[in-house]
Amino acid sequence: MGDNGSGASLPSTGTDAKKRRVTYFYEPTIGDYYYGQGHPMKPHRIRMAHNLIVHYALHRRMEINRPFPATPADIRRFHSDDYVDFLSSVSPESLADPSHNRHLKRFNVGEDCPVFDGLFGFCQSSAGGSIGAAVKLNRGDADIALNWAGGLHHAKKSEASGFCYVNDIVLGILELLKVHRRVLYVDIDVHHGDGVEEAFYTTDRVMTVSFHKFGDFFPGTGHIKDTGAGVGKDYALNIPLNDGLDDESFRGLFRPIMQKVMEIYQPDAVVLQCGADSLSGDRLGCFNLSVKGHADCLHFLRSFNVPLMVLGGGGYTIRNVARCWCYETAVAVGVEPDNKLPYNEYYEYFGPDYTLHVEPSNVENLNTAKDMERIRNILLEQLSRLPNAPSVPFQTTPATTEVPEEPEENMDRRPKPRIWHNEGYESDADEDEKPPTRFSNTVNQPVVKEEMRDDGEDDMEEDKKGIL
Amino acid sequence: MAGWSMLKNGSDVDFGDISNRIKGGGGGDSCCLDSNHSVRDDSGGVNDTDGVDYEDKLIGLFDQVIKVFLNAAAYRGCSRPIPVLLADGQSLDLLKLFWVVRERGGFDMVSGFWSFVAKELGLSARFAAPVKLVYFKYLYELERWLMRGRRVGRLGNGKYPSGGSLGFLSPEVETQFRSLLSLGYAQREKDGRLASFECKENGRSVMSLSDNIAELRVCNGIEHRSTNDGISFLDNDEKCYNYDADGIMILDSRDSKKEFSSRKRKRESLSEMLNWVIQVARCPEDLSIGKIPPVSNWKDHGVEELWIQAIRAKNALLHRRHVGSKSVQLLQINQRMDPSMYEDPCHSTDQSAERLRCSERLPTVVKPNLCSCCTSCLTPQGQKIHQTKTKFESELKEHECAAGDLSGANTYLSPSGDENFRRYVAIGPRFQADVPEWTGMVHESDSKWLGTSVWPLKCGKQNVPAAVDCIGKGRPDICGCQHPGSVSCIHFHIAERRMKLKLELGPVFYHWRFDRMGEEVSLRWTTKEEKRFKDMVRFNPASLGMCFWDEAHKYFPRKSRDELVSYYFNVFVARRRSYQNRVTPKDIDSDDDDSDFGSVSDGYGIEAITIPGDNVLSCSVNMECTDFA
Repeated sequence: MGDNGSGASLPSTGTDAKKRRVTYFYEPTIGDYYYGQGHPMKPHRIRMAHNLIVHYALHRRMEINRPFPATPADIRRFHSDDYVDFLSSVSPESLADPSHNRHLKRFNVGEDCPVFDGLFGFCQSSAGGSIGAAVKLNRGDADIALNWAGGLHHAKKSEASGFCYVNDIVLGILELLKVHRRVLYVDIDVHHGDGVEEAFYTTDRVMTVSFHKFGDFFPGTGHIKDTGAGVGKDYALNIPLNDGLDDESFRGLFRPIMQKVMEIYQPDAVVLQCGADSLSGDRLGCFNLSVKGHADCLHFLRSFNVPLMVLGGGGYTIRNVARCWCYETAVAVGVEPDNKLPYNEYYEYFGPDYTLHVEPSNVENLNTAKDMERIRNILLEQLSRLPNAPSVPFQTTPATTEVPEEPEENMDRRPKPRIWHNEGYESDADEDEKPPTRFSNTVNQPVVKEEMRDDGEDDMEEDKKGIL
Repeated sequence: MAGWSMLKNGSDVDFGDISNRIKGGGGGDSCCLDSNHSVRDDSGGVNDTDGVDYEDKLIGLFDQVIKVFLNAAAYRGCSRPIPVLLADGQSLDLLKLFWVVRERGGFDMVSGFWSFVAKELGLSARFAAPVKLVYFKYLYELERWLMRGRRVGRLGNGKYPSGGSLGFLSPEVETQFRSLLSLGYAQREKDGRLASFECKENGRSVMSLSDNIAELRVCNGIEHRSTNDGISFLDNDEKCYNYDADGIMILDSRDSKKEFSSRKRKRESLSEMLNWVIQVARCPEDLSIGKIPPVSNWKDHGVEELWIQAIRAKNALLHRRHVGSKSVQLLQINQRMDPSMYEDPCHSTDQSAERLRCSERLPTVVKPNLCSCCTSCLTPQGQKIHQTKTKFESELKEHECAAGDLSGANTYLSPSGDENFRRYVAIGPRFQADVPEWTGMVHESDSKWLGTSVWPLKCGKQNVPAAVDCIGKGRPDICGCQHPGSVSCIHFHIAERRMKLKLELGPVFYHWRFDRMGEEVSLRWTTKEEKRFKDMVRFNPASLGMCFWDEAHKYFPRKSRDELVSYYFNVFVARRRSYQNRVTPKDIDSDDDDSDFGSVSDGYGIEAITIPGDNVLSCSVNMECTDFA
C-alpha cells in the first residue's frame, strides 16, 4: 500500500474481510433525468456507474434493490412543508405561471437548481434510496449500503442549493437515528457539505466531518472554526483545503483525523458522501485525487466495521464519476477490479485508454505540508475537547470516566490518546491500521479476518436482539 | 492589468498631459496600450485617436457588449428594453451610469450613495432607487464580469469560466473593451466630463497627495498570511499589523503619497493610534487626550491626528461587517431591496448560479489562514481597495456633513471582492433538522423502504453457467478482430458482452434497462431522424446562445423528451467521444454540452473512422436488432 506511487490504494485484496453484506440501491430510470443543456449535473453518470458495476460482475456480491420513492410526507421529515409542496407541484410547464416566481426565488430554484422534467421523481428516487439504505443498516440486513443517486448534500431545509433539492443524506441519517445513537457523517466532495452540517449543527447525535476546497469557492461555508453550536458544539468538523490536493496529502489528513474521530466519537453508524468532484480533472472541482486516493476513504472507513452508508454526490466529469463509483463499489464488496475496463455500453466514454484508473494531472498541490500539519493539529485539538461517546442518555456530565460497557457496542476499550500520530502515509496502513478498539476481542486472529467479521456480525445480531 | 493602469492614471492625472502620458507610455499605461496595439492593428490603436474618437469607440463597444449581456438575459427570459426610460420619461445613459458607479468602485461600493449617483447623472436624488435598480438589472452582471476577468487576468490561474454569457463575446471585442475602459478612466477624469463633483474630487486628491496621509485600511489579512503566523509582508517595506488574534483582519497604515509606486509606509502611526485607543479606554477622563471636535470640523483636522485615525479604523472595521452581511443578504435575496427587484427570477439565482461552483462566483475571497495560494493576488487587490478607498475618503470629506443619506453604517464600503467574508451557519428551527433525544427505544422502520428486491434473482433460476467471468474481471488483452480497437471491433465486443449479460441477468437485464443503454438506442431511430438530430445540434450551437433542446420538439414532434435525452447520452455523445478518442485523443470531453466538437459538423466522423470493407459492425448490430423486433 502506498507503494504504487499514487500513495493510496487498496491493499492486496484478501486481508480485509471480503464478506461485507452489501446492499446497493439503483433506480433504473435515474439516467434519463436531465437537468438541461449545459448543466454540469448529469444523472446519466449514475447509469454509467451502474453499467460498469454490472459489467465487472460486482452485482454478484451484492443485493440490489430498486428504491421505494420517498413520498412528500417522508421528505417533510426534514424539509419544510411549503418547500416540499412546491417541489412536488412544480414542473417546467407550470413555470409560466407567474405565481410561481416568488417561490422560485424563495426556494432558490432557477439557474443552479433548474426545474426540469421529472424533478420531483428524481428527488424521490434519490431520497428513497438513502432512506432505504438506512433501513437496511437499521435492520442489520447489511453492513454496507450504497446509493449513488444520493449524497445531495447542499439541499437546505427550505431551499434548494448547488444542484440539490432534497437532502437525502439528512433523511437517511434521521432514519439511522431511530436505531443508532450516534451517526458520523463524512463528506469528501470538493464542496463543503453545508446542508448536512447545517441540519445537524446543534446536535451531538450526528457528527459531521467535511473535507472540501475552501476559499472563493461554493458554497462559502466550511471554515475551520465552524465547529457546531449548542449541544452540537465541536461536533462539526471542517477541513478546508486548497487546489491541487493530491492523494498523499489527503490521506495524510484523512486517516489520522478519521482515526481519532472514530475513537472519540464511537459512532454506531457512518455515512460517507463520496462526491466525485474531488477527483483530478473534474469539470468543477480543483483537487487532484486519483480514483484510488478517493476510494481510500471508503476503504479506511470500511475497516472500522461499523454499519456504513455510502452515497454519491457531486462529480461533473462523468466518465471519471462512473469510474470512481464503480471502483468504490468494488472496494465495498472487497474486490480489486482489473484496470482494463470490460467492454460495456459506454465504453467509448472511457477512451482513449479505456482503463478504470486515470492518472492525476501534474498540477501544483497548493496544500503545503505545513498547512496540512497545522490543519491536522487544530482538528485533533478540537477532537480532544470532546467527551468520549456523547449523547449517552441521562449522562449530564461529560464522560470523564470510562464509558460503561455497552454490549451492543463493544466499546470495551477506552481510546488511547494520540494513536493518530501514525500519520497515514508513512505507515503501511493496510487494514492493519484499523483501530484495535472495536472488535478487539477478535483481534487475535488478524489473518482470518473473514471470521473476525463473522464474529462481529454475530455480536451485532445478538445485540440487535438485545435491543429489540 | 486593467486595474493597474487605472491606478496609475488615477494618480497621475493631475500632473501630466494625458497625451504625453499615452505617448510616453510609462508604467501601467503601456500595458493597456500594448494590448490595444496587439488587438487592433486595423484601427491603428487607440493612442492615435483623439478623445472624441476614443469616446465614440467606447460607446460603440459598450453598446456591443451590453447587448450581449442583455441578450443573455433575454435568453433567460428577462427582457431588458433599451433605451432605459425613467418614470418621468427621461432616458438614462447606461454608459454614463456605468462610469459613475465604476468610478466609485462598483455596485457594492456605491450602496447607500445612490442619490449621489443620480445627481451625477443629472437627475434628482429621488431617482436613487430607480437608478440603482437599473444598474442592478442592466449593468451589474457586466461589472462582475469585468471584475472577474481582471482578477483572472492577474492571477493567471486559467480558471476563467469559458461558458456562460461571456462566451458570446469574441476575445478581440473583449480585450478592446477592457482596455478602452481602463484608458477611458483616465481620460474621463482629466476631461472633467463628469459632474463638477468629480473635479472637486480631483482637486482634493491633489491635496491629499501632497499631504502625507497615513491611511488606514482593512485588508484581507488572511491572504497575506500564508507563509507565516501573525505578520506578513507585502514586500520588504510593508508590514501588516495583525489586529485580530484570529487572523481575520489586519490593519495597516500606509503613506498614500507613494502608495502606488514605492509603497513605502508609515509604520508608527498605527501603533500610535492603537496606543491612543488603549489610553482612552483606560482613562477616558484624562485631559491629555484632548477633545474630539464636532463632526462639522473634522475636515479641518489632518489625518495625523490620532483620533481621526481611530475613527477611520472603527469605520473601516464596521463596514467590513456590514458589507459581509450585505453580501449574504444579496445572495439570499436581499429583503431591503426595492420590491420591484423581484419581478424576474434571474438575480438571486444568478448569484448562486452554477458558475459559482466554478470557483469564480462568490464575491468574496475567503481563505483559510492555512492556504498559501493567494499571496499572488494580494497585491493587485490590495491596491484596488486602497485606491477606491482613497477616493471614497476624499469624497467623504466633501460631503460628510451635507449628505443626507449617508448612513453611518454604510459609510465605508469596499469592493466585496476583497471581503474576507465568511458565511456562517444559520441556526434556528428553520434550518436544523428535528433530532429526537436518544431514548434507547428503537423505532421500527417501515419495510417499504427496502424497495423492490431485484438482485439476486428470487426464483433460483440464476444462470450459473453464464457467470463464467470472475468478479472484477476486465476485458481480455487481445482480441481476434481484424482491426483491433476499431469502431467495429468495439461494437462487436460490446454486443458480445451484452449477450452474455442477458443470459446471466435474465429479466433483470430489462429491469435495469440495459436494453436502453448504449448505441443500440439508435436502432429505434431512422437514419433520417439521426441526421435530423445532428442538424439540430449543429444549427443551434450553444456558442451562439442557442439551446437545441428548445428546438427539439420542432425537429421531433413525435419523440418524447426522454427519448431525445436517451439518444443524446447513449448515442450522440458516445459517438462524439468515439470520434474524439480516435481523432483528437488529447482533447476529449464527455461533459461540456456547450462546446462544439469537430465531429458534429463532420458527420460524427464515424464514417471517417470506419475501415472500409469492414462489415462486422452491421453484422453484430443486426444480431442485436432481433431483440427489439
